[in-house]
Amino acid sequence: MRHYRAVAAWQSWAVLNRHMTVYLRNWHTAALPPIFEPVILLLVFGVGLGSNIPAFDWQSQNVSYLAYLAPGILAYTVFMTAFFQALFAAYIRMHYQKTWDGQLTTQVRLEHVVWGEALWSATLGLAYAIIVMFVLVGFSIAGWLDFHWSGVIVMLPLLFLAGVAFAALGLLFTAIVPTIDHMNIPFYLVIMPLGFASSTYFPLESDALLAQAWLVINPLHHLAEGIRLLLLSGIWSFHLLAALMLFGLMILILLPVDLRLLRRRVLGER
Amino acid sequence: MLQHAKQGSGHWHTGSEITNRIQLLIYYVTIDLMNRKGASITSPLLDARGLVKSFASRRVVDGVDLQCRSGEILGMLGANGAGKTTTLRMCYGFLQPEAGEIHIDGIDRVSDPDRANRLIGVCTQDDTFDTDFTVRDNLLRFAHYFRPRPTDMENRVGQLLTRFDLARYADAKPDTLSGGYRRRLMIARALVHQPKVLFLDEPTTGLDPQARMSVWELVDGLRQEGLAIVLTTHYMDEAERLSDNLMVLKDGQVVSGGAPRTVLGDLVGEHVIVLDANIPQAGAVQQWLREEGIGEPTRILNTWQIALDGPGLAHFSAVFGELRFEVRPPNLDDLFLQLSDKDS
Repeated sequence: MRHYRAVAAWQSWAVLNRHMTVYLRNWHTAALPPIFEPVILLLVFGVGLGSNIPAFDWQSQNVSYLAYLAPGILAYTVFMTAFFQALFAAYIRMHYQKTWDGQLTTQVRLEHVVWGEALWSATLGLAYAIIVMFVLVGFSIAGWLDFHWSGVIVMLPLLFLAGVAFAALGLLFTAIVPTIDHMNIPFYLVIMPLGFASSTYFPLESDALLAQAWLVINPLHHLAEGIRLLLLSGIWSFHLLAALMLFGLMILILLPVDLRLLRRRVLGER
Repeated sequence: MLQHAKQGSGHWHTGSEITNRIQLLIYYVTIDLMNRKGASITSPLLDARGLVKSFASRRVVDGVDLQCRSGEILGMLGANGAGKTTTLRMCYGFLQPEAGEIHIDGIDRVSDPDRANRLIGVCTQDDTFDTDFTVRDNLLRFAHYFRPRPTDMENRVGQLLTRFDLARYADAKPDTLSGGYRRRLMIARALVHQPKVLFLDEPTTGLDPQARMSVWELVDGLRQEGLAIVLTTHYMDEAERLSDNLMVLKDGQVVSGGAPRTVLGDLVGEHVIVLDANIPQAGAVQQWLREEGIGEPTRILNTWQIALDGPGLAHFSAVFGELRFEVRPPNLDDLFLQLSDKDS
């Protein structure tokens, strides 16, 4: 229980505050990826490639590929941003910059460092998602998209929770990869396939049992489909509830495991 | 008259007794107050007892006790792997002891780590400053990690920058500083929140002699201000010059503790004979050492360094009076070499 209580401790938020301060100092360069990446992806795939793809049936609706892709990019952004921060950026702070070691000589303990990293990753994931939403609003104003925006504010806490869950997954690899070069293994064998095989860029429809099972347990699939239904139809679907539960489960299971593994790695404790 | 005198005398004695009693009372009250004051000054700010720690079933620290009082420097010595850094890490909360107790100014660090950590400053072996911030911002930023939050930080940081001669580098990134100034920054950062106990883990390793001496002066100044300082070092001169008390660790246990001279006397002996190791009588000397139970001499280049007590020196002189040898007082290098020799 102590592991979970640390999320509310001031030390965890002090760690988050440190990361945010560093990030905001470079806001002019840091803001480029979340703005330009979705714009480029939407233009290249949604508008460019989408113009060659006829509208198709999805959940009893006829949708253009651009309309299908846009909510997927939103979900993918939260996933990739939070995961990337918790994997590469956290590893650099832990191993190369010794930021964690410095923090651990204060009233901050390892559980606070880990929660601070997870909260920061989720904050950045949410911030990037909000920027993507503004881009999508721009596309809507341009007449390329027709979305229901009414439920978006309520969706924000879920996106934050998704960020914490994906950060917990990222921290798992941070705890176990021997060197930074080894991060290619989880990234290309687990994360990239997961990111694409989750109804983000294309509909994943198959009657195969394995594919069905994969979709049931895949939180990113539920998040992408839930957001899509909400934006395209204004429907609060079971996907959002499933995503909420799966993210909660991920956090409950992964954070204590992360802490245990990082305690071994950082402190040398068994 | 006599009776009056006696009465007078008796009265005078009674008055004297009262005066004496008042004086005695004042004396006892004064002594009591001094004792109370003395108790608060001399009670250890760091009090660790029975510390035990194992890694992979190997016991690295095995029942270590240590105390450090206000205005005192405790030097921890030992060869690599003796358990110095592990002991220090348990004291500052980086590691959890398997057994034992640690109190910081009376606060149990296991049950109340937040309050205990508020009272300590830590300068680790490696530089762990935040490379994303300037020197000044490193000090300011560090204050965010403490509650109650240190107040008047701008002033405090300004004072630290001046005192540690870092003012001219205030806006530089820490990784652009020389080794000596990096160490200064590390120590200054450990003092941002005005701790009572300071842990210095090999604070001058890798520094040139001038930088080392300036760190010594800073550390000595901190001692005079009343900080309790625990220091680990490999430099014998550093331990000897700075430490009020020494603690020698070997295989995770304290093999000696106390004032440096006492520790040397306990572990090395009163005198050290320096002898050419290539003399023809070398075999005879080795044989004599074995017979006396002294064991093998420590060899440094072409010399033997043999630690002996007073009677041992007299006996050696009597047996090998014809040899040329030098007699000098022992130093901590002898202690270190002796510990290392016994390890090997």
